Amino acid sequence: MRLLLVEDDAMIGEAVRTGLRQDGFTVDWVREAEAGDAAIRAEAYALLLLDLGLPRKSGLNWLRELRRLGNRTPVLILTARDAVADRVAGLDSGADDYLVKPFDLDELSARVRALLRRDAGRAEPLLRHGELTLDPATHEANFRGETVNLSAREFTLLAALLERPGAILSRAQLEQRLYGWGEEVESNAIEVHIHNLRKKLGPEFIRNVRGLGYTVSKPS
Amino acid sequence: MTTSIRSQLLAWLLGALLIAGLLIGYSAYHRAQEDIDELLDYQLKQLAFSLSHQSVGSAPIPPGLLLPEPDFITQVWDKDGVRMFYSRPNLGIPMRPRPGFSNVEWDRQSWRVYTQLDGFRIIQVAHPLSLRKEMAADLTRRAVLPLVALLPLLGVGIWIIVGQALRPLSSISSAVRARTPLALEPLPQQHLPEELVPLVGSLNDLLQRLNRALEAQRQFVADAAHELRSPLTAVQLQLQLVRRADSIEERAVALERLERGVQRSTRLVQQLLTLARQDPQDAEAGFSAIDLDRLARDVIADFEPMAQRDGLALTLDSEGLLQVRGDRESLRVMLGNLIDNAIRYTRQGSVVVRLRAKGEHAVLEVEDTGTGIPAAERARVFDRFYRVPAQKANDEGSGLGLAIVKRVADRHEATVTLDSGRGGSGLRVTVEFPSGNS
Repeated sequence: MRLLLVEDDAMIGEAVRTGLRQDGFTVDWVREAEAGDAAIRAEAYALLLLDLGLPRKSGLNWLRELRRLGNRTPVLILTARDAVADRVAGLDSGADDYLVKPFDLDELSARVRALLRRDAGRAEPLLRHGELTLDPATHEANFRGETVNLSAREFTLLAALLERPGAILSRAQLEQRLYGWGEEVESNAIEVHIHNLRKKLGPEFIRNVRGLGYTVSKPS
Repeated sequence: MTTSIRSQLLAWLLGALLIAGLLIGYSAYHRAQEDIDELLDYQLKQLAFSLSHQSVGSAPIPPGLLLPEPDFITQVWDKDGVRMFYSRPNLGIPMRPRPGFSNVEWDRQSWRVYTQLDGFRIIQVAHPLSLRKEMAADLTRRAVLPLVALLPLLGVGIWIIVGQALRPLSSISSAVRARTPLALEPLPQQHLPEELVPLVGSLNDLLQRLNRALEAQRQFVADAAHELRSPLTAVQLQLQLVRRADSIEERAVALERLERGVQRSTRLVQQLLTLARQDPQDAEAGFSAIDLDRLARDVIADFEPMAQRDGLALTLDSEGLLQVRGDRESLRVMLGNLIDNAIRYTRQGSVVVRLRAKGEHAVLEVEDTGTGIPAAERARVFDRFYRVPAQKANDEGSGLGLAIVKRVADRHEATVTLDSGRGGSGLRVTVEFPSGNS
């Protein structure tokens, strides 16, 4: 899942990005609303993490603008403003959730997962596909009754394929999901992850559509 | 001891009335005495005169016949000194051969005596002087008594009137009592007696200044609380990342970041305390003659390692002894902040501290070859917690450095101006101290 973080404080931005990456998210981090605006036009983000006290343009104004233009990306506000009026203003401007600084990394991840779940129209925290169950919180997979351990990248890749079963995702699309800006992408990284997943889930779970990409068939 | 305007006014007014009453009584008594003296002397004379026309032979006049007042004594002697008549047989005043009025001490009393000689008889008429005193006292009493009787009534009247007049004071005091640090609206100024207008005016002035100071304080606390959240958030997140670290390398990176986070929080708290200490209320307290040249050398020595680490030349350009009156510690903090900023925002080149005398004024300059501050931002950078947007994202500054510089300068009545450096880039901060320093 690729997230956009808009946070002007270098230390907080760095820590949030590191923490969310550890939890299996791909995070792009910008420090101003203007850069965020450019990013959100260029890439498809699953969620926007927004600080309100930005240098030039307030986060709240930018959020209102996004919503007016019809952007539906879930937005989680991260801010030091804790007054009830601020929280109400944040939510009423189009935010989906509001987290007051200082916050806990685990809570941040859980809220991000909840927002993504709601956005996908699911209430069940676990992802199910046939005989496979994925737990986004722990990155544990259960396949045919057996626990399968997945790396963060493997998990993200599998979750991306399971989002719309039957759809074919190209290598470039998968790379885009897995790697944020500035992260080095090894040329055969996707193939390596697919290879590992096939070893854990059986060779027929992920199909290779030659020349197009990869897909997971709809459960029968 | 508390004093009450009401009791004081009452005491003074009643006292004044009492003294006026006494003076009136005293003068009335004297006037009465003079009048009575005149009247009774005339009466004595008339009495003696009327007796002289009576044909009183040698036979004594029957007692009781000539007694207009029991206080009077009338005596008649013949020319040989034989008493022919006396009105009070048991009271015989010795004969006064000298004619006219005289005062006589006799029988433990003072007497007024009139003696008339008419050739063959001596007629003497007398009455005690105490009689006159009693009459005068009686007259005086009648004049003064109504005044004395009025005193308690006047006292009650004064008490009530003064109370009425002072009523606006108690309404002001209850209005002042109703003010709280959260509600410092001005006191009502209509329907006030003329005498109280300046008092209420000054009170309102004070309330307004108090309100502004409190508002500034509240804003500062709110800002400070907000600003403290950022480094604390960073520290909390960094701490969690340390916990989560799987490898020694990851842990080392996380710990290093945590350390920077803690340093940043510490610095912010220190700056907040420094700012709070620069309270202008005791502006001149602790001021002494400071040699800026020596001070600059000390501070530059403190920052030398930082400048060396960043590969910057940190130099002093001074003409020697340059004195100002000021607080050494505050001036150190000010210069320290200026040099710290200069080093922080200069990638390469130099930082120069310049000291010079400009007429009577002492001028301190810190110039760098760094990023500078855009002209449009220069007015705002002295605001607490304000950071230049372009720099905000990259630095770990508290946003208080220049606010502290300004506060210290204000305390020393010095001006601070921001310019570009000599080459048109970088930043030059000029602090100009007022004249009259020695």
